[in-house]
Amino acid sequence: MSIRVSTSNFFDRGVASITERQSALLDIQQQVATGRRVSRPSDDPIAAGRILDLSQAQSINKQYVTNSDSAKSSLGLAEQSLQSVVASLQNVRATIVAAGNPTLGDSGRATLSRELAGMYQEILGLANATDEQGNHLFSGFRGSAIPFSESSPGNVQYAGDQGQRLLQISASRFIPVSDAGSEIFQRIRTGNGDFAALAGAANGGTGRIGIGAVIDPAAWNATGNPSNFTLRFDVSSSTVPATTTYDIVDNVSGNSLLTGAAASLTGPYLRTFTPGSALNLTSQGAEPPFNYGANVVIEASPADGDTFTLAQSPNQSMFSTINNLINALRTTTSTAAQSARLSNDLTAAAANIDQAINRVLDVQTAVGARQKEVESTQNTSRDIAVQYEATVSGLRDLDYAKAISDLNLQNTLLEAAQKSFVRVQGLSLFDVL
Amino acid sequence: MSGGVFRIGVTALNAAQAGLITTGHNISNAGTTGYNRQRVDTSPQLPELNGGGFFGRGVSVDNVRRIYSEVLDRQTQVATSQASFYGTYSAQISQINNLVADPASGLSPALQDFFSAVQDVAASPGTTTSRQALISQTGALVSRFGALDRRMQDLRSSLNREIAGSVEGINTIATQIAQLNGRIATLQGSSPNAPNDLLDQRDQLVMDLNRIVSAQVIRQADGVYNVTIGSGQPLVVGESTLRLTTVANRDDPSRLDVGYQFTGTPTAIDDALLNGGSLGALLSFRTQSLDATQNALGRVAVALGQNFNAQHRLGQDLNGAAGGDFFSVPVPAVTPRSGTTAGVTAVVSNVSALTASDYRLAFDGTSYSVSRLSDNTVSGPFGSLPQTIDGISFTLASGTPAAGDSWLVQPTRFGARDLALLVSDTALVAAAAPVRSLAPTTNLGSATIGSPVVDASTQPPLNPALRNTVTITFNSPPSTFNVVDTTAATTLATNVAYAPGMTISFNGWSTTLAGNPEATDTLTVQSNTGGRTDNRNALLLAGLQSSNRLDNGSSSYQSAYSAMVSDIGSKAREAQVTGKAQTSILRETQAAQQSLSGVNLDEEAANLIRFQQAYQAASKMISVASRLFDSILELG
Repeated sequence: MSIRVSTSNFFDRGVASITERQSALLDIQQQVATGRRVSRPSDDPIAAGRILDLSQAQSINKQYVTNSDSAKSSLGLAEQSLQSVVASLQNVRATIVAAGNPTLGDSGRATLSRELAGMYQEILGLANATDEQGNHLFSGFRGSAIPFSESSPGNVQYAGDQGQRLLQISASRFIPVSDAGSEIFQRIRTGNGDFAALAGAANGGTGRIGIGAVIDPAAWNATGNPSNFTLRFDVSSSTVPATTTYDIVDNVSGNSLLTGAAASLTGPYLRTFTPGSALNLTSQGAEPPFNYGANVVIEASPADGDTFTLAQSPNQSMFSTINNLINALRTTTSTAAQSARLSNDLTAAAANIDQAINRVLDVQTAVGARQKEVESTQNTSRDIAVQYEATVSGLRDLDYAKAISDLNLQNTLLEAAQKSFVRVQGLSLFDVL
Repeated sequence: MSGGVFRIGVTALNAAQAGLITTGHNISNAGTTGYNRQRVDTSPQLPELNGGGFFGRGVSVDNVRRIYSEVLDRQTQVATSQASFYGTYSAQISQINNLVADPASGLSPALQDFFSAVQDVAASPGTTTSRQALISQTGALVSRFGALDRRMQDLRSSLNREIAGSVEGINTIATQIAQLNGRIATLQGSSPNAPNDLLDQRDQLVMDLNRIVSAQVIRQADGVYNVTIGSGQPLVVGESTLRLTTVANRDDPSRLDVGYQFTGTPTAIDDALLNGGSLGALLSFRTQSLDATQNALGRVAVALGQNFNAQHRLGQDLNGAAGGDFFSVPVPAVTPRSGTTAGVTAVVSNVSALTASDYRLAFDGTSYSVSRLSDNTVSGPFGSLPQTIDGISFTLASGTPAAGDSWLVQPTRFGARDLALLVSDTALVAAAAPVRSLAPTTNLGSATIGSPVVDASTQPPLNPALRNTVTITFNSPPSTFNVVDTTAATTLATNVAYAPGMTISFNGWSTTLAGNPEATDTLTVQSNTGGRTDNRNALLLAGLQSSNRLDNGSSSYQSAYSAMVSDIGSKAREAQVTGKAQTSILRETQAAQQSLSGVNLDEEAANLIRFQQAYQAASKMISVASRLFDSILELG
């Protein structure tokens, strides 16, 4: 049996099916026009939420790229300044070699000291370098404070702090983009880095002490090492030729290492001195056993009562080192003893400048390594950005091939619905009555 | 004999005329909504026994009957109510749906720009430009929150108007049904036949009513309709109606509820009882979608504001002072039910536990209970306040509560509206940390001290000794150290065993020690005086963007917002899909109903011919009878 259809329902259904097709067609048309499959959350609620989450991830990732640029700029500035500091320090080092020339007189050395004063100012200027915003590169967190200022010749104060600014360049990496000036220009060990070998100020002989070396770091670093010794010389003229002997005194306990008893100011002492041979801080023969794993070479002839100290290296700013050097070069040098003192001062200055160069190079290497890291992290961030873009596009964007075919289909369906409606509505029994 | 033929002819003529009239009525009302086609019921008249047998006496018109099925009509009413519900719900939620995910006007871009600005401050903490940019972006973020909220507030106001309009519509229809009840009862009382067109009108009014709210008809024996709405609230009883009205919600006066207007004060009807139809959709959209969305948005604002403020207060601004509040963060709104005199305050004490729900705190005379309105979870009873539920601390602030007192607490409803920026001076952005560390270059050892971190788990409020200078001095041998607060001249610790990499915490900061110290070496933590290019606090502030500070540490601000967007999307989609399904169900039930009761013009055309022919035949019969009579006359 057939179903009875009311005329108005017939119309309503026809119109409804056309409206439905139109609405479906409009949906697809909008998708094609915007290129987006998801333009409202209801189009795909899960994808809409993920797209928003991803947009934050994208934005953060973009910020990492920006931060990396900023880090590269800061590190680049620091790197340039440090490079200039190294160049200046190498000039200082060359000047020390020149000042060691025995043919040079007081006036020649005075000329060199003036050149050194110029280099000193140059390094001071580099230490106070600023970035494009006027903030000082090497003053830690106190960017507006001038980090190094000279209160009196050679007396340089650090007004910064030890803060190190970090920038976030990836989800887990905060990279340091600044270095405190105190760490670059001040925290420099003197001597060979472990200890400084210095001639006594009142020495009357020609003894010249080298920088010494730690040959057994384990023994040197062992607890119980006083790290502070005096080498005391005695020249006994009762024999011919005169015999030079020396004692090694532990300055902390005041005892002679060679006897184990309280040190005596007068010799002769237990060890015989041979110029140019190494003086070992290790017991030998019948001496009470001790081993501090270090030695030092003393050349020429110390006089009776001359002393040399070996003490753990303190930190000394490169400004003090250069200033001491300038003062040494300005001192009149005529006697053999004065020449020996100058020689000792130059050796110590050379060692300290080498330490300074190494210190700056260390920082420069660290800065360079950070620059490389920033570069590679930035590349990763850029790759990730492409990934995010692809993921978001996959979630949000339209598959055009499918959409266009859907559009055609809906178009055809709408046309069919319209035409058939008109056709069927044209039929009425009243027409033939 | 011819008299009988005449009589039969006349009855046939009358029947055909009735058929023609009814067909004409059907044709004229083919387009009338709610019209049910009518048919003339005829039956043979009682025969008369006349000698040879029972002779027919023609046809009698018994009744004009509408072709109507109560079952089909009821089905259509239900389908109408459902389709109207989902259509309205869908239309309402699409307004939020379009709003929240818009790439230009949604929250996400403003949130991202804001945090980018924080990162830029971290990159150049000492410049005014980056700080100014942060303040501008924060202003943009705050106004974006406000704009989104305002849009939802607009929806709320228009909902109030639409609810009032719906109530008006229900009352009008109810009055009309009651009037028709009266007329139908009167007419039916005087005649055995039904006033079909009035019945149609009344059924159509019930259908119209269902479009606004789900309504049921209880048909009385005398044909009168009693109508109930929702889940059984009487609306029309016989010829009288119970008037509905709008009434301010007793917890939240800005919200209109539907109520009964008895004499005196109107009584509110619970939203849940008014289901179906456009009014049902408006009410459930308001509680399920609008409230939830506005609260969820407010929750992001409150959480961001509180977390940012807390971290900002641990920092140090360009003037060297401790950071202040960056945002003004709205506190939970507490509305006492009318008649409640005791005052209660609520504060958000734990952002991470905060939900997007509203709460009702109630006092029954001896104890308190707190209901979470989103899922009606009740906590309590509690003998006293304060109590903390879901990160909100409820405190009795004034007065003595009486039995039956109740307070509506909305921790996040106004979060998005009321979040405001407090900082306008670029120097007040606390990008730096208040303390720094120092390893003097006079140290002989290689001991280092890490940058001190202000402990956020116990502060703010800041430890008053936070910025004091604290010196760590290594003993001889340097396997232990002493810690002295040199500002307060107090010893904080002595002979602490040293282990490289160890963490120490004093005065509200903590830091790490490393390297090999020598005896008498010192390390210092001190006030970060002049730390203009320090960005440590800015980095921590920027880190808030990707840290999970909501939903007990499982959502970031963005993911909480995304979840809200997904939720709206799902609801909108559900409304669309269900709405489509309901529309096709409605179409089917309408087709079934129309199939029975609708007018088919072709059919009526055929009927027209049929009754015309019947009329012609009856006329012929009279003419035959007349001729028969004439023949008899001619005989005479």
